[in-house]
Amino acid sequence: MSTKEAERISSAQQTLDILFEMSQLLNTQLDKETLATCVGMIENGVNPEALAAVIQELRRESVALTAQSAATSPAEK
Amino acid sequence: MSASSSNLESLITLLVPSTRVDSQLRRELVELCQEILTSHIGQKQEPDLAQVADVVKRRLLQLSPNGTSALKFTNLLSRLLDEPVLSRKEESIIFLQALASSSGPSTIRPTLPSLTRPPPFRSTATLVPTEATKPAPKGKSNAEILQEYRILKGYAHIPELLLLRDTLYLLQGISGKYVYFSLQEDDENKIVFADDAAYRIPPSTRTLIHRLSELGYLYTRVDNFVREREGTAGVGMIEQSLCHHLQTQLTEYYRLIAVLETQMGTHSDSDSATTETGLSLRRLDVWVNEWRLRMRMMSVCVEGAREAQGGALVNLIHSYTDNGDPFVRQFTDQLLEEVSRPFFATLHKWLFSGELYDPFSEFFVSVDAGMENMPHMHPSSLVGGISLSGDGGFNGASGDADDFSTIREGGLKLWQAKYQFRQDMLPMFVGEAFGKKIFSTGKSLNFIRYSCHDSDWVITREKMSTTGGILQYNDITGLERSIDAAYRVASHRLFEVFLDKFKLLDHLSALKNYLMLGHGDFSDQLMDALGPSLAKPANTLYRHNLTATLETAIRSSNAQNDGTDVLRRLDARMLEYSHGEIGWDVFTLEYKVDAPIDTVLDPDSMEKYLKLFRHLWQMKRIEIALNKGWMRVTGGARTFLRVPELEPEWHKIRLIMAEMVHFIKQMQAYCRLEVIECSWKILIEFLNKKEGDLDAMIEAHRSYLDRVVKKILLWNPKHGKEEHLLNQVKETFATILQFREATDNFYNHCLSEAARRDQELDAERGVYTGASTTSPLHSQELAGLLNRVKEYGTSFSDRAQVIVQHLTVHPDLDCRFLGIRLSFSDFYRTRKEQQLQQKV
Repeated sequence: MSTKEAERISSAQQTLDILFEMSQLLNTQLDKETLATCVGMIENGVNPEALAAVIQELRRESVALTAQSAATSPAEK
Repeated sequence: MSASSSNLESLITLLVPSTRVDSQLRRELVELCQEILTSHIGQKQEPDLAQVADVVKRRLLQLSPNGTSALKFTNLLSRLLDEPVLSRKEESIIFLQALASSSGPSTIRPTLPSLTRPPPFRSTATLVPTEATKPAPKGKSNAEILQEYRILKGYAHIPELLLLRDTLYLLQGISGKYVYFSLQEDDENKIVFADDAAYRIPPSTRTLIHRLSELGYLYTRVDNFVREREGTAGVGMIEQSLCHHLQTQLTEYYRLIAVLETQMGTHSDSDSATTETGLSLRRLDVWVNEWRLRMRMMSVCVEGAREAQGGALVNLIHSYTDNGDPFVRQFTDQLLEEVSRPFFATLHKWLFSGELYDPFSEFFVSVDAGMENMPHMHPSSLVGGISLSGDGGFNGASGDADDFSTIREGGLKLWQAKYQFRQDMLPMFVGEAFGKKIFSTGKSLNFIRYSCHDSDWVITREKMSTTGGILQYNDITGLERSIDAAYRVASHRLFEVFLDKFKLLDHLSALKNYLMLGHGDFSDQLMDALGPSLAKPANTLYRHNLTATLETAIRSSNAQNDGTDVLRRLDARMLEYSHGEIGWDVFTLEYKVDAPIDTVLDPDSMEKYLKLFRHLWQMKRIEIALNKGWMRVTGGARTFLRVPELEPEWHKIRLIMAEMVHFIKQMQAYCRLEVIECSWKILIEFLNKKEGDLDAMIEAHRSYLDRVVKKILLWNPKHGKEEHLLNQVKETFATILQFREATDNFYNHCLSEAARRDQELDAERGVYTGASTTSPLHSQELAGLLNRVKEYGTSFSDRAQVIVQHLTVHPDLDCRFLGIRLSFSDFYRTRKEQQLQQKV
């Protein structure tokens, strides 16, 4: 039982590695953790393209926010 | 859903670090993301791994053309597929791919902008770069200003959308609201623009619409043609298939228009006239460009179809296949494939079963309407089919038929005139040589079937051939092969039928043996039996006597061993005689032939045979007369005629007679050995080869006969002198007969003189042997007799000399050789020189 579990985990690890390599190859700029989360979501049945759109959106938000904070922080100082 | 939302939250915290502290922002983002996820992005397509992988690879290749990354990706993919953990590998890759392409530098995702909404929490003064992409419609562009100005002035341009709709109508040959076809009959190909004051169509647009409307015009023409043909009866099959092809093309065209229409429909939903996805006149132009060419081709075909018909139409289309433009070539090839199908169906039937099924007279073989009514004709080729053809161009052929039907329909006529070859209907891709072969093959089969009553064989052949494959336009070499094969088989069979079933060879040799006196014993017998009665006047001869004599001659000679079928046909007959002619002049043997042998032995040939017979018969008569005379002169003269003072005269007579015998013998030897047998050998060789068709057979027999006739009758090719020599020879024959008569008279005279002298001697010895009834020899009478003999003798010599002279310069080599034979050892030349010397 435990060996099976270990096998499963190791193969999952490998799969993730492969996917990560692919993602690097495709220059998606995802880190491993995000990728794992995303793959998990996809496995749960989330539409991949919609998910990609979400990632895009979040990135943009993040950029906007950092820009905002960058703009506001000097004023605070 | 909670699992996915927790996942989402962790994703948000990962990507937007500030949400770790700002829970409100996090909640809002979660909400937004949920919304995106439940939206319809990318839900239509079914994931297909191969397709996705392909897209990715292409993209990778684009990024790094050396292909290492693509290769690497392939490797990774195969490894991934080995892993059992993930159940939705495709989706993962789609996700990666989507991210990758969205993060690419230049890719625009058309679906995204509509989704991006400014987040509600954003303050007014956000510096989000997405805002900048939307142009603020603050200042009007120049075009808009112009447009407003025009509206103000009252001649605004019609919105392109309306024109577009009209143009789509025009493409279908329907007039639109603003642009329509001119209604005048004389210039139907003009389009008119409706110019009302409110709307103007700019000249550039007009030109464009003009260009587009050409298609509509062409469409109308093609469509009219198709519809017209659909409605009328008696349209040729080739034309029908042309119509069918055009109709399919038009259906394609409708499809295009339908697509264009939907394009226009989706476009009109969105308000702006300048979107890049919709339809515009220029785009329409591009779309229909290929169709314009196609329509032009079709229109050309339609034009051609009005004038040409059947094979000529195929020809016309075929002439376009030699085009450098691959599009035109392909189009015509396709068209030809379709159009030539009925042609090939007819060809197949003609080539393999010898039936002409051509109800619209489109094939390059036409049947003669008059000949068609021959018995056992197939009902499929009715006369009505011919008269149905609307084209008046070929009525000439059927007009000739009336002339033929009045003539007795001999086999040759049937063979030659039943079917005619129509050069102008022969498709060019077949080639004339093959066309002739096809023509001949079908004709042979038809002939075998109907004239030789051997339809079983043809049907068997037909069954065999149908398994062999279909004739098609794109398989010309195969076509040629099957034509060759069919031709060979058909002609071989025809030869077999003629030689084996109808025993052509037997008939030919019978003609040679009887009419050309090849059976010497038979002709001797006949001459013996007939000779006395033929000397009588023609009007005292009766045909039944002649036939009875003929029968006797046959019975008493080797001829009795010939087949009854041959002897049955042999008949004796008298020609039309006029007053004063004797039996010799009018008697002739006859050989009767019937169908289908009379195809080869046609009446003309039989005429020639009769002519030959008469000449040879005459020769035979002379020969026999001379033989008898010679017997008398050599035998009788030495034994009974004891008139010593007349002995030198007899010597002279013998000399002349020997010359005559030589003349006749040489003449006969020449006819028999140099002419008849040589020609016969050529004919037999041809027949044994069994090559060529019936035409070749007819031709071979004809040349054989011509050769024989020309040489035996010493025919001179010089115009006006054809029968010169023959007449000379005939006169010589007459002279010989006269000489023979004169000699007979002289013989009788000598005989009576000898008898008188014997009586005198008997009286001297005192033996009374009878009353001395005869008076002594009158020298005057004797001189007259001798004079006549001498006169005919010299006249013969002179004539023979002239003949020899003519023969030595005769253009025919064999005839010249006859001259040499007659004047062997230069007999006549030396004598001529002697005569000349005597004169000097």
